[in-house]
Amino acid sequence: MMRGFVILVGVFLLSDFAVAQDKALTVNLAQDSVDISTGFNGAKLSLFGVKEKRGHVAVVIKGPLKNVLVRQKNSVFGVWMNNVSIAFDDVPQFYDYALSDKEENILDEDALKSNGIGLSSLKFKAEENSLKPDEIDAFASALVRNKQVAGLFPMEARDIVFLSDTFFKAEFYVPPNVPTGDYVIETFLINDGDVLDKNETRVRVAQVGLSSSVYQFAHSYSLAYGLFIVFIAVIAGWLSNVVRQRTS
Amino acid sequence: MQIHLPIAEMSVSAEIIFLVSAFVGFLSGVFGIGGGFLTTPFLIFTGIPPGIAVGTQASQLVASSVSGAIGHWRRNNVDIKMGLVMLTGGIMGSFVGIMIFKLLEFFGQVDFAISLIYVVLLSSIGIMMLIETVFSKFFKKKNVRQEFNTLRVSPFIASLPYKMRFPRSKLFISALVPGGIGFIGGILASVLGIGGGFLLVPAMIYILGMPTLLVAGTSLFQIIFTTASATIMHAVFNNTVDMVLAIILILGGVIGAQLGISAARFVKPTQARIIMAIMVLLVAAQLSYKLFVEPSELFSTLVWP
Repeated sequence: MMRGFVILVGVFLLSDFAVAQDKALTVNLAQDSVDISTGFNGAKLSLFGVKEKRGHVAVVIKGPLKNVLVRQKNSVFGVWMNNVSIAFDDVPQFYDYALSDKEENILDEDALKSNGIGLSSLKFKAEENSLKPDEIDAFASALVRNKQVAGLFPMEARDIVFLSDTFFKAEFYVPPNVPTGDYVIETFLINDGDVLDKNETRVRVAQVGLSSSVYQFAHSYSLAYGLFIVFIAVIAGWLSNVVRQRTS
Repeated sequence: MQIHLPIAEMSVSAEIIFLVSAFVGFLSGVFGIGGGFLTTPFLIFTGIPPGIAVGTQASQLVASSVSGAIGHWRRNNVDIKMGLVMLTGGIMGSFVGIMIFKLLEFFGQVDFAISLIYVVLLSSIGIMMLIETVFSKFFKKKNVRQEFNTLRVSPFIASLPYKMRFPRSKLFISALVPGGIGFIGGILASVLGIGGGFLLVPAMIYILGMPTLLVAGTSLFQIIFTTASATIMHAVFNNTVDMVLAIILILGGVIGAQLGISAARFVKPTQARIIMAIMVLLVAAQLSYKLFVEPSELFSTLVWP
């Protein structure tokens, strides 16, 4: 089943390639959206590609950028409470990457950074604050650590699997708590430290079906939504009392 | 079965949430408590953001207080006039509570404040329950409640303006007193996601001097309205009421309460109180651990608009 699918995608990609001969890199996502419904428990995102020139492949997936506040707890009169915080601008809500080789074999560090490949390439710009640079660094690394624990940042690069000399596959996993929004997937073909070709594709992560309806209802008609929930609760309470009357 | 919560935007185990709410519902059936003070901390332990836990738990309390109040209503044990005065204060209190909650959220102190208030409230209630149980064991013949009930209203309360007559409770008292008690209940509902019965009931007995027969029904009657108004305000001002979570909590609570009421016949009151007191103290201990012991991760992150 999977093999048949892979071949199918491969054939599709090769035919695609026939049209655009000048491209050194052709990629396609197995799906262009991640649908979050009531039963959603994370999803796999597969990317297939064909490279027409020698070189390493790197794939980066990035979620929507948001400002993030990092708070630090400290002991205040013997109790632990948040008392220092820094906001960072434009932090990707999700980040993951896959490589066909070890990081250092693909590009030098500067080139990796300038192309946004790898966790260390992520630079978080702190909003105005009165902290020292090394303290800000502690907050930035805590941000990465928290994201890693939540499964939204990777611990290390994923592997790109080559199904033939030219045909490759990268697989990502988005966890159940994945933030919604537009995700950008960049694929790089790199040889001798030079980016030969780059492809950018998008995937939409959104709630669908009941989840989406409830979300829309709650945010667009919040008063009616609140009243409706109270109504459900009153009916449930009343029914339970009726049942009790009957049984006792 | 993992179920995705559309408002919390996270997946939780539906069985675990259901079982816990059924367990708390069971306890509420046995002991005649609302149980918000057990469910809210549990929801926060499972990683549900405090705002969602509090806002959604308030809706579950609407169901349990409706169910409880109907029984008292049928037996004519509700002082409606008193209830109306209390719920007027309660609705105002729930609004103020939402503002306090938003302020705490802004300063990143929601977790801390909720934990701290719970530790103070739960440990004092737990200890009081234990003392009262032991006390009543030694003085079995006397009825403690009735004795307190004959206490005279303090001169300060008697001096307050806006006096009103409450024929059912046979009281002539300033409306500010029941209104004020309801107001505090409303704040508790909005900030902590609890009905506050454990605070309202003694206040109504000892401060208002209401007849004990009417206290439970009247407090439940007004808790319906304060928790309903807390739910609606959390939905409107914070968008923190999750319908999917609410339905699981309501179902679990209702089913658990049915079982609890049937089981209540087989439970000895003294034993039940001791078990209850110990559970309350355990929750308090767990929360104070979080407050006083250095956490393994000092940093937390959240999306900041």
